[in-house]
Amino acid sequence: MLARPGLPSFDYIRASTAQEVVRLLKEHGEGARLMMGGTDLLVRMRQGDVRPKIVVDVKHLPGMSEILYEEGAGLTIGAAATMNQVAKHPAVRAHYPLLAEAANSVASYQVRNRATVGGNLCNASPCADTTPAILALEGRLVLYGPNGERELPAKEFFLGPGQTALQPGEFLTAMRFPQLPSGSAGKYLKLGRSKAGDLSLVGVAIFGFPDETTSSGYRFRIVLGSVAPVVLRALEAEQVLASQPPGDETFALAAQRAMEAATPIDDVRGSAVYQKAMVRTLTLRGLRDVWEQLAGRKE
Amino acid sequence: MGKVLGQPVVRNDALDKVTGRLKYPGDLNMPGQLYAKMLWSKRPHARFQMDTSEAEAVSGVMAVLTAKDVPRNEFGLIFPDQPVFNFDVVRSVGDPIAMVVAETEKIAALARDLIRVDYEDLPVVTDPREAMKPGAPVIHEKKPSNILKSYRIRKGDVQKGFAEADAIVEDDYFMPLTEHAFLQPEAGIGYIDDEGRVTVHSAGQWAHDDRRQIAHALDLPEDQVRVIYTPAGGAFGGREDLSVQLVLALAAWKLKRPLKIVWSREESIRGHHKRHAFYIHHKVGATKDGKITAMEVEIVADCGAYASSSTPVLANAVLLSTGPYRVPNVNVDGCVVYTNNLRTGAMRGFGAPQAVFAVELQLSKLAEKLGIDPATLRLKNVLVEGSKLATNTVVPAGVGIRQTLLEVTETSGWSDQGPQRPPAHAPHARTGVGLACGWKNVGYSFGFPEQASCTAELYGEQHIERAVIKIGAAEVGQGLNTILAQIAAETLHIPYEAVEIAELDTSVVPDAGSSSASRHAFMSGNAVKGACERALEAWQRGERPAMMTYQYLPPKTTPFDPQTGECYPNFSYGYASQIAEVEVDLETGDVALTRVFAAHDAGKTINPQTLEGQVDGGVVMAQGWALIEDFIQQDGYIKTRRLSEYLIPTSMDAPRDIVSCLVEVADPLGPYGARGVGEMTMMLLAPAILDAIHDATGIWFNRIPVKAEDVLLALKRTGSQR
Ligand SMILES: Cc1cc2nc3c(=O)[nH]c(=O)nc-3n(C[C@H](O)[C@H](O)[C@H](O)COP(=O)(O)OP(=O)(O)OC[C@H]3O[C@@H](n4cnc5c(N)ncnc54)[C@H](O)[C@@H]3O)c2cc1C
Repeated sequence: MLARPGLPSFDYIRASTAQEVVRLLKEHGEGARLMMGGTDLLVRMRQGDVRPKIVVDVKHLPGMSEILYEEGAGLTIGAAATMNQVAKHPAVRAHYPLLAEAANSVASYQVRNRATVGGNLCNASPCADTTPAILALEGRLVLYGPNGERELPAKEFFLGPGQTALQPGEFLTAMRFPQLPSGSAGKYLKLGRSKAGDLSLVGVAIFGFPDETTSSGYRFRIVLGSVAPVVLRALEAEQVLASQPPGDETFALAAQRAMEAATPIDDVRGSAVYQKAMVRTLTLRGLRDVWEQLAGRKE
Repeated sequence: MGKVLGQPVVRNDALDKVTGRLKYPGDLNMPGQLYAKMLWSKRPHARFQMDTSEAEAVSGVMAVLTAKDVPRNEFGLIFPDQPVFNFDVVRSVGDPIAMVVAETEKIAALARDLIRVDYEDLPVVTDPREAMKPGAPVIHEKKPSNILKSYRIRKGDVQKGFAEADAIVEDDYFMPLTEHAFLQPEAGIGYIDDEGRVTVHSAGQWAHDDRRQIAHALDLPEDQVRVIYTPAGGAFGGREDLSVQLVLALAAWKLKRPLKIVWSREESIRGHHKRHAFYIHHKVGATKDGKITAMEVEIVADCGAYASSSTPVLANAVLLSTGPYRVPNVNVDGCVVYTNNLRTGAMRGFGAPQAVFAVELQLSKLAEKLGIDPATLRLKNVLVEGSKLATNTVVPAGVGIRQTLLEVTETSGWSDQGPQRPPAHAPHARTGVGLACGWKNVGYSFGFPEQASCTAELYGEQHIERAVIKIGAAEVGQGLNTILAQIAAETLHIPYEAVEIAELDTSVVPDAGSSSASRHAFMSGNAVKGACERALEAWQRGERPAMMTYQYLPPKTTPFDPQTGECYPNFSYGYASQIAEVEVDLETGDVALTRVFAAHDAGKTINPQTLEGQVDGGVVMAQGWALIEDFIQQDGYIKTRRLSEYLIPTSMDAPRDIVSCLVEVADPLGPYGARGVGEMTMMLLAPAILDAIHDATGIWFNRIPVKAEDVLLALKRTGSQR
């Protein structure tokens, strides 16, 4: 028995094949929990929020921590790649800097050594810092289950706080990202009560690229974290940016629309009013930043 | 040989700590030990009945201990108003009502959850200003009112003083309750030692007083109780009250078996006292050339459910609320009031940070009103040698406040024209610079018995090969054992490495008082120095080994006169001046503390590294108090139960630069001139930060923490920018 105060006893199984994981999940149902970094799971177990009988460690499955980039095909990140691995990976930094920035914004260096991007997604917290970037980059999730592998757009994965589209016996093995449009740029901005100890009060991911099919000549994606039950695309704000010429006035209007899309609630970390106001501030700052990058790139 | 004083020698516990060899309280184990789990009150104020039969029936449970098992069910640092386990009434959610001892931790926890408690709620009062009114719910049945204690000072004629003033500033201040959040939640083991003594091995701040309180509650002679300390990673006053010590002793004594307890962080937050929340109304007047003419102060402090150290904390705040200044006319009225909040007691500064917070913001506002540079205004009024305090007695010799102020302004480039503001990093940011001064007593005050004793043992033949220092002074992370070894080495003219500090075991070492009141460098430093001097004389007479015990007694202090407050409150003070630089984000309200200048009068620097460690730690702790830490209790229930909800600053939040300016105005009574600095480092940065926020935005905040949201709201409301 583990003699840590509060952490209940459990069996630990280190899975070596995907089939074994599916079998264990089917066999134990709610009694089994998957673990990668454990930075969410173990905390929740210690608090008594979840009480699994067995903990199945899936991070050692073949390919689970691999990061692969291929020109044209895009990027594949194993579900168990850690925040630090993702944030430091040369291809991620070169081609998907928004993702590296988001991964690097999580917690502290020590936590980032354990915390995985896949775990961040599966935990399905509206405050998860990599989710806005993954939605902004239109990532797809690779799920493995009793019927083999399937792929799902990330935006269809989140059903509510802590709730995902995973079917019984299914688990996440990888995230895939398409090759990004040329000349694109991104920015992730977050606000917490302290620099490393807090979950985001507000998180905003902005991604923009030239697009001849819009009347503004650009397309932006804006994704908001921590201000609704799930991480949210601010579609009306994106619409403003597609239809009106880029510039401060348009950005201000888009930021206003983003704020209107947010539905935060009051809690000990901050009031709803403040969170909404910060959606506007961070969106505006993010848009200006991305625009500067885009303009710079055009020259 | 010699010349170890003032050197940044390597801490004598560093190797054991970095190799993991050192056993912190949670690492202690005994063969065959049982495990204990506590049951806490679920209600802030209620009558209750408890049924433990189901828990007792669980196989593997050895005992369920409750109030009826404690011979004298009371304890307390100053006076015993708190039950070891509550009996029939609970007064806060921090009240323990039972403890299960079982063969495993799991069984103990399981059985604990089977204890049935029926509560009958009583009216709850959580605001001390309400609790002090007649007709408020009474928290201690036997006490006539919830006002635990009042103190006052009357000096001169404040009416006349304010009449002479050209400018008067009057305002209300609030500081919330604060959690210590030290490393390592409370833990330890209890057992009966080979000589039949009830023994507790844990960490705390005053082993000999733990022993006294345990003996009192168990109704045993003190020599039947033994307390051993292992160093703690931090304490900050939070280990000054008994926590696990008493219940470990009780269970070991009852069951005659070793046992272990480890509190979770949630239990730690719930179970130990907090820093007092304070409401202060402060009025100050000055002539147009900046001479302070009068101060009038009203203080109400929240005691929570039990006294802990509330009475001396209040006394300190009352005394220190006029600041390190000469004030001819003074009225101070303070009281500390029971409520159904968590009890409050010692925390780094012990009433000084709250007092300093109010008076320093007052001085900054006064400077603004008079159009005088804030540093200049302070310089005109600071205490000097021979100044009389509000208590009508002369300040002890060695007054360094002026020197710290000159040093900090010069180092930071603050001239007669005011501070140098660093450039802002973004167009939506403003920078500001703020200043504060502070003072605090070193050692116990107001007649509380004060002494420190030490035994020095010198071994060797021709020369002293090894010196063993036996002293009941707790190392709680501050580096005490290192500086005591330095003082011993210096006094004995031997290498620092030849000095060994004996384990803190009440059956072996003499009492040197608590690790609090910034007193050990001064008090235990004097005790070590005295014992070493005497042992050295014995050595020179040819004694082998040479052993001497010495008790250091400082000048006597006296309590407040109940009417006038006249007294000789303290034999020594520490002085400090700090400057804070902030950058305020005008669009998010975020306040970043970018740089701090801290000038501390250490009297004599024994070890510059441990001293700077204190300064850095104190600065960051004050930063948390001013900007981040927000302990929320609602109707007596804790809303910030863990460190993901109650945030403290991390190294990522700390200012990138903390410039320590060490000042040495010798304390004529201190060992080699040293005085204390531990608490002084955290007591004055909060008002300096708020002064800096004002400098950046034109907005005065009167309550902390100042959160981004508060700043943004205020910016919106005033539309003001500097
Ligand atoms: C001190 C601290 C600070 C933190 N700060 C932040 C922060 O700033 N930002 C942030 O976003 N998060 C933060 N977190 C939360 C956490 O670190 C992240 O969500 C992290 O990414 C989770 O990854 P993990 O690998 O540790 O997940 P785990 O804890 O291993 O798993 C998370 C959840 O996913 C399930 N799961 C695990 N693997 C799979 C799988 N392959 N398929 C399906 N389900 C699976 C688990 O059962 C569990 O429910 C913090 C946590 C701590 C302890």
